[in-house]
Amino acid sequence: MIDTFSRHRPLTLLAIVVLAQVLLLAFQIKRENNVRLVRYWAVELMTPLERVGTWTFSHVGGVWGGYVGLRNTRAENERLHGELDKLRLRNNELESRSAEAQRLSTLLNFHDAHPEAQMLAAQVIGASADPTSHTLFINRGERDRLRRNMGVITPDGVVGKIVEVFPSTAQVLLINDKDSGVGALFAVSRTHGVVRGSGDPEPHMEYVINEEKLQPGDVVVTSGEDRIFPKDLLIGTVETTKPGNPFQIISVQPAARLDRLEDVIVLLSQQELTPKKTEQNLEATGMTTGATPAGSDPSQASVPAPKPTGIVTDPNKFKSPARLQPATPAEKTPTANPAVPRQ
Amino acid sequence: MASMMNYGMHSEPNIEVHKFYGGTVLGTCLLALVFQTFLHKYGRWSELIDLPLLVTIYFGVSRRNPVSGLFLGAGIGILQDALSHDNPIGMYGIAKTIVGYLASSVGARIDTEHPLSRFGLIFLFFHFHQAILALTQRVLLNHSAPLFTFHLFVDSLVTAAFGVILFALLDRLRRSS
Repeated sequence: MIDTFSRHRPLTLLAIVVLAQVLLLAFQIKRENNVRLVRYWAVELMTPLERVGTWTFSHVGGVWGGYVGLRNTRAENERLHGELDKLRLRNNELESRSAEAQRLSTLLNFHDAHPEAQMLAAQVIGASADPTSHTLFINRGERDRLRRNMGVITPDGVVGKIVEVFPSTAQVLLINDKDSGVGALFAVSRTHGVVRGSGDPEPHMEYVINEEKLQPGDVVVTSGEDRIFPKDLLIGTVETTKPGNPFQIISVQPAARLDRLEDVIVLLSQQELTPKKTEQNLEATGMTTGATPAGSDPSQASVPAPKPTGIVTDPNKFKSPARLQPATPAEKTPTANPAVPRQ
Repeated sequence: MASMMNYGMHSEPNIEVHKFYGGTVLGTCLLALVFQTFLHKYGRWSELIDLPLLVTIYFGVSRRNPVSGLFLGAGIGILQDALSHDNPIGMYGIAKTIVGYLASSVGARIDTEHPLSRFGLIFLFFHFHQAILALTQRVLLNHSAPLFTFHLFVDSLVTAAFGVILFALLDRLRRSS
């Protein structure tokens, strides 16, 4: 027996080991798989090694990701910077185009609102070389039927008039130039005057007597007496007033951004600009009728008057709260009735 | 294949028994178990390869000692069982005990140094190991376990291919005679 065991020792051991494990299996099945001690030892043996493995893997991964994997990062970074520069240029170009489209859209809206008026869109292509001279050049000229003394406006308000016409360009004298003069009146009181350039960025309203009660924000519109601009085109708003001798010194904030003009409208005739449909037009030009909406509180009249743009069709809407009351005869001060210079 | 395995070319006493540096066998077996459990965190691809089986086969055929082979297989198998969630201890133990014993016995009779012979050995042992597992589960545990599926076939090919590379790496741990 022992001799047989010695001769077939490996095979016998195999049988013993396998049998032992079969018994172990049977034991577990009988005891519902409850061999916690063996599992405990195995886990206790392997867990530290797994921790080391995890730590090694994470650090090797970190080294790989932080150094080896970044071999091409420099080249990629340069490539991405190049792409970023290109995209920035492209973005600037698109923003510029978008702004241009918006400006043209505003002009188109304005033109659509006044289909009867003869007008021509023009682009500002240059300005005066003399800093004291407030003029600019537009890309329209004789060939486009432009003539001297035609009015130039934007949807925001009056810009100036054409003083020189060349075959393909024209020179525009802005309303803040010291040689400029526009027949004007206050939208509310209908007091007449002349808006003249003073050499400052803001023109002045002249020939308004000291007794005229004015407030900053009062709207100034064209009177049409100069035969250049139609009546009731917005010029600007009163910025400051102070008594003068014999007339008030009134500074007017132009409604048109005279320092940022890019596209303008040349009025080919002095035909009065009457909106096609009042409400629709007012919406198109960003204006409202000033009527109190149904159901709203009339006391809300204390809210600031809306920023005037385009053509003034209802002067009462620009009345400041203090002026919402009907004007008394005492307030009806006589106008200076200035001699509007023919420009 | 048969010519590569050189059946009967060497009589048992002439077979070279490879020795390893101290702690190599134990360290490699533990590392194989660690990797097997650890790599499961990084996706199911690691399930394609049975590292403990490969280590059992390699040390079995290298040391060519059936007794050490069967004990090594038993130890690795029991640890593998213990580290699994719901395997009864002894399931992998029995399979790997027999594989370890057979690998040692085969290693003592045929040449197992050629990559192709190694590929064939691993492929066969994989399916043999799977057959024992399936039988154990069916007979002892009354579980239904497949003897052969296409998935197992793919697994055996992947394990065999990987095993050829692993065996070449483990060859470097041998002590030069």
